[in-house]
Amino acid sequence: MSEGVGIENSIDLDQAKVDSELQPSHKADGVWPKLRIQHVSKSFQSKNGKVYVLEDINFEIQQGEFVCIVGPSGCGKTTLLNIVAGLEKADAGEVWANDYKINGAGTDRVVIFQEAALFPWLNVIKNVEFGLKLKGINGSKRRSTALEYLKMVHLTKFQNAHVHELSGGMKQRVAIARALAMNPEMLLMDEPFSALDAQTRWILHFELQNIWLKTKKTILFVTHNIREAVCLADRIIILSSSPGRIKKEFLVNLPRPRDDNDVNVAEYSTRIMKELKAEIDKVMKCEMDADSCVECDIKCTTEGVAKTDMGGGI
Amino acid sequence: MYSIFKRAVFFILLIGFWELLFRCGIWPEYVLPSPVSVYKTLIRGFQDQTFIIGIAISMKRIAIGYGISIVIGIFLGLLIGRVRVFEETLGSLISGLQTLPTICWLPLALLWFGLNDRAIIFLVIMGAVLSITVATDVGVKSVPPLYIRAAKTMGARGWKLYLEVIIPAALPHIITGMKQGWSFAWRSLMAGELLIVCLGLGHLMMIGRELNDMSQVIAVMIVIVIIGILVDRLFFVKMEKRIRERWGLVKG
Ligand SMILES: Nc1ncnc2c1ncn2[C@@H]1O[C@H](COP(=O)(O)OP(=O)(O)OP(=O)(O)O)[C@@H](O)[C@H]1O
Ligand SMILES: [Mg+2]
Repeated sequence: MSEGVGIENSIDLDQAKVDSELQPSHKADGVWPKLRIQHVSKSFQSKNGKVYVLEDINFEIQQGEFVCIVGPSGCGKTTLLNIVAGLEKADAGEVWANDYKINGAGTDRVVIFQEAALFPWLNVIKNVEFGLKLKGINGSKRRSTALEYLKMVHLTKFQNAHVHELSGGMKQRVAIARALAMNPEMLLMDEPFSALDAQTRWILHFELQNIWLKTKKTILFVTHNIREAVCLADRIIILSSSPGRIKKEFLVNLPRPRDDNDVNVAEYSTRIMKELKAEIDKVMKCEMDADSCVECDIKCTTEGVAKTDMGGGI
Repeated sequence: MYSIFKRAVFFILLIGFWELLFRCGIWPEYVLPSPVSVYKTLIRGFQDQTFIIGIAISMKRIAIGYGISIVIGIFLGLLIGRVRVFEETLGSLISGLQTLPTICWLPLALLWFGLNDRAIIFLVIMGAVLSITVATDVGVKSVPPLYIRAAKTMGARGWKLYLEVIIPAALPHIITGMKQGWSFAWRSLMAGELLIVCLGLGHLMMIGRELNDMSQVIAVMIVIVIIGILVDRLFFVKMEKRIRERWGLVKG
């Protein structure tokens, strides 16, 4: 297979092209892109001087697209997501959602964090209602909406449970329900499944895809796991580290819902890894000795199943 | 169960020893009354309602004073915990004042309010407010930033962020401060009532002293201890445990 799916679709990010795409019109075919990130840069002040985390990030996400950002640990994925969420300010550049410039957090972009961030003083259903209550939606309407979304993540049975009584996977599902109940235009997910075991993650990948197929939300999903990205995304954006730049983009045209263990998903992740190997090698030469651990990481991924992490070296 | 049994035996032995000491007749009755006469005084105190009225008056004072100190304490704690300027200024004042025994506020209370209820309530407030302030400050500082970020993306800001997220998240610390504050408040109340004589449990003890009625003094002391224990064990210890469990701070 994979003829129509293949790496042919990968987009080489030539900066000039990106610029020319972004500059002229924000509005292709009279439709605003859901999210437009323009020349975003970010640095942090640390003891050893300035750390450049993100450098000139540019991309767009269309309405209803499922985009994954993949990159090694510490490359600035969370920082980028926080900037989009409005929880952090970029040093330079702009982020637009539809036709307005993002300036601070907003209920149109709800974040699902790595840890569920549920509030322990509220039970499950009240957690799901939290955002609705802040919106000023009245009691019975609030309850029925919350129940509807709890049902979507198959947790109605646990509506009165306390947070500390839930497993990690259940917490993350409640967090998804809580975010969906806000009916945001965009879901921002920061490695939401990385703390879970493979089995639970597998189930949640299915659930998330089904929810996405049902609701057609725009999703920006951060992960460092290429296989997870291939399993979930329409489009994968690869970030390099220090400073974080967009390295490459891949389109994934596999049918949904996809399965982590599906041959096509596995094959596609392997091909992306191979494609990236050149990049990795290039960077490794600058950063470390040639016989690096990333090499064996890649070997593992071409053979094994679970280990599609990017290692630390891109 | 076994520990309750041990405790019961201990108290029975203690009372037995006390009775024995009394029977020896080394000290006159106004120095050491018998357990029986203390018991009789207790019963009489509740029957003729003097103790009940005393308890009611004292409880009213502490309810007012303690209530006010919860409000002020949480407010100040939030200010110090969230606003840099207040932390650097007010924060240092509060930690300085904490070293001051509450009873040192008595002269000031007398000059400001005179020999009355308000002076006692002032003492109660000064007893409790600092503990609650400090605990709230610590609680606010230990609120996981993740909660605040999550709440912000769901549209919480301004006072709603405080009411819906920061205060509940800090509650395990706040309740510990309230527990400590309660015990300080209870002590200040008794000190105040003994020194500013105007009804209440402390006043009942002073009456006992004036009448050389030691059994009344001891009976009131017992009442004070029991109220202290009841509030601490039945309310605060339980609340603290429940909250810590709910917040996932201990394994339920
Ligand atoms: N508040 C901060 N102050 C200083 N440095 C920071 C801050 N936040 C992040 N950084 C630095 O920015 C870099 C990127 O961090 P970020 O959390 O965005 O990485 P990440 O790609 O999400 O990594 P991971 O996959 O491990 O979550 C890191 O080197 C980190 O040390
Ligand atoms: Mg991260």
